[in-house]
Amino acid sequence: MANSTQLKSDALLEQMKQHLDTDAGKELTKKIGLVYQINIAPKKIGFEEVTYIVDLKKGEVIKGTYEGGKPDATFSFKDEDFLKVATGKMNPQIAFMRGAMKIKGSLSAAQKFTPEIFPKPSKM
Amino acid sequence: MAMRELVTGGAACAASGSSSSSSNPLGALANALIGTSSKTQERLKEIPTATPTTSDSQFYSETSNHFTALPGSEFDHQLLQPNAQVSEFLGGFRSGNHNGFSDVWNEIQLQSQPSFENFPPPPPPQLQPTLEGPPQRVLSSFLHSFVESSRGGVPFRPTSLPLLGLSEGDKQCIRDRSSIMARHFFADKSEDFINAQVNSLLSSLEIDSDARVKGPLPGRYRELEDYWNESQGMLKPGPQPADGWVAEYSQHRAAHDNPNAWAHSFEQQHGVNGWASEFEQEQSQLASVDQLRGVNISNAMEQTRMLAHTLAQNNDPKFQWVDEFAVEQEQHGTVDDQWVNEFSKLHVNDWVEEFGQQVGDASLGDTSADSWVNAYDDFLNEQVATKQWSDASRRVYVFSDMNPYVGHPNPLKEGQELFRKGLLSEAVLALEAEVLKNPDNAEGWRLLGIAHAENDDDQQAIAAMMRAQEADPTNLEVLLALGVSHTNELEQAAALKYLYGWLHHHPKYGTLATPELPDSLYYADVSRLFIEASRVSPDDADIHIVLGVLYNLSREYDKAIESFQTALKLRPQDYSLWNKLGATQANSVQSADAILAYQQALDLKPNYVRAWANMGVSYANQGMYEDSIRYYVRALAMNPKSDNAWKYLSISLSSASRNDMLEACNLRNLDVLQKEFPL
Repeated sequence: MANSTQLKSDALLEQMKQHLDTDAGKELTKKIGLVYQINIAPKKIGFEEVTYIVDLKKGEVIKGTYEGGKPDATFSFKDEDFLKVATGKMNPQIAFMRGAMKIKGSLSAAQKFTPEIFPKPSKM
Repeated sequence: MAMRELVTGGAACAASGSSSSSSNPLGALANALIGTSSKTQERLKEIPTATPTTSDSQFYSETSNHFTALPGSEFDHQLLQPNAQVSEFLGGFRSGNHNGFSDVWNEIQLQSQPSFENFPPPPPPQLQPTLEGPPQRVLSSFLHSFVESSRGGVPFRPTSLPLLGLSEGDKQCIRDRSSIMARHFFADKSEDFINAQVNSLLSSLEIDSDARVKGPLPGRYRELEDYWNESQGMLKPGPQPADGWVAEYSQHRAAHDNPNAWAHSFEQQHGVNGWASEFEQEQSQLASVDQLRGVNISNAMEQTRMLAHTLAQNNDPKFQWVDEFAVEQEQHGTVDDQWVNEFSKLHVNDWVEEFGQQVGDASLGDTSADSWVNAYDDFLNEQVATKQWSDASRRVYVFSDMNPYVGHPNPLKEGQELFRKGLLSEAVLALEAEVLKNPDNAEGWRLLGIAHAENDDDQQAIAAMMRAQEADPTNLEVLLALGVSHTNELEQAAALKYLYGWLHHHPKYGTLATPELPDSLYYADVSRLFIEASRVSPDDADIHIVLGVLYNLSREYDKAIESFQTALKLRPQDYSLWNKLGATQANSVQSADAILAYQQALDLKPNYVRAWANMGVSYANQGMYEDSIRYYVRALAMNPKSDNAWKYLSISLSSASRNDMLEACNLRNLDVLQKEFPL
């Protein structure tokens, strides 16, 4: 575990995974019903990316590519920036315009990718 | 006309170089509108007449009527109708530091609220902005009406203003900023139109419309100006508006006698890309309102690139930042190009409409104009946050202004007392007074760090704790606190370092650790050591606590929960321990259990802001948004500075479809929120 190549985002995505099994998570899949691919790079977008599939149709989070076809939207982030967007510290529109968030695929699907869908971390 | 350009010019100028400040209140206002500039606020404070008051609220109504009263105005009702929006828009322009201006600005915004609530019953129409009062206010109001009219595309007539006492520098700034701004707002209009607008403005202010710099310019900045002119000249002939900001820089910086200061301070404030990205940002935002013309964007990109290119050709160290910028440009394979391409590929016009529609359908319920405004508002808030982030990453402690405890005979004792009583924000002030007096007081810094952590401000907590560690590198409590904070921030390597340090410096367990701190710590090794230690002393609550934190790092939450529960059996009155347990449970998606643990913590310490905020998180994560809102509001009532809590509150408000309260949230209006969401 904990060596320097670990992503901070791993923690949040793992929380998301478990979150989707809860009632709140199931509500989310009903509400959104889309599949997102998220490419997260440790330092710079496009380099040494880790791919996650946040499947808000089935309600699961998988590491790796999407086997069930094409994701509705694909995002690329730097580790820190994904966290900022997911926790509401950075607005997705702003992130997009600054190039901190790259989008491919359906724009309407992309617009549903907001901080609201992610569970928030708690502080010790 | 002129007014519009004044503001637009000012904004553009500020965007392209917002650390250029001046004693020009107009400039300051423009800065506040568009960019952040701590210098501006400092300067503004110096101005004896700088006292915006409630008359500004009347001013808003006046200008809005000014709007409606102008004949032949074709402004977009939709754009104008949400005047609350405009105030929100302008209200979002917080310059983000703790100096007076931002507070004052907030006051204006808050005070102007009632006038918006009263709007439909219109006050008597007036064609003039406020022309009475101190020069700064007159200018402000002139500027305001300019913004408002420009928003609605209404031409402004030149008005005769009382003597404003603008200095040559001020005039220069106004002239140049207005030109730039005009170009932004009227990029689709002809050069003549733009110039006419600028001239009208300038004549109102009795400024010579000759765009050349008057008077001597400090020599060393002439080069920069020339480069700018060169790059501008490549794009379009005519007056060179942008040299104004250069002149302004020179005037501002002349006092500092360091040619690099400007570049460095700007870079510091905004990062190497800051100027360009702000500029791009502004361009893109403005353009999107005008139904996005690709031409505008590429012009801006072009200008940016050209400027960077010409400036980069100079090897002078003061242009270093430009070199870096140019290099980054090339490295990213002209990111701007890609950005523009990607953006235009998305069929931009459709995007704007579609987005507007989508947003309208979704729980936000805004129109596309609204969302633009909100996005821009967020952009500015983000500028604020960016500064805070960069401070945090450099772990710089930010002291409060106007600390009543400075000068207190024994601030440490006072701080300890206040902390004991649970008055965290007060304790922070007293402790700050202490460490200002005795910067090497480890205990002062340590308690300050604890107070911030309990007040749910991890940035300040870390900053203070780092100072504590500097003052006393072997203090175990400090090391543990740093380990916890870094674990919260998901800084795994740093957290490991501090937790290992705890073991290393422990009188009892230090022997278990290797004599020197290894260069790279592997989690497995560290945890093994701790497990060994726990076998040596199973009744040492501290060991179990550290283990619990370690297991959080590795996300072995069940083990972490077990460790904390063991520790709690030994120390059931430790409120911080209950919170740790709760947070661990919450992060492993056991929110109901977490809430029980937080409740224990709060029973022991009712003013534990962090626990209140964590409560909110646990309710929100369960989809119980209305409840979460109440807990966030409660946390914020105790510590209005918790940025985390504000963000989470706004997310919960959206999720709960309480967009009616979003404005109160954006304006940080706790009174309204508390009334609406009591616990």
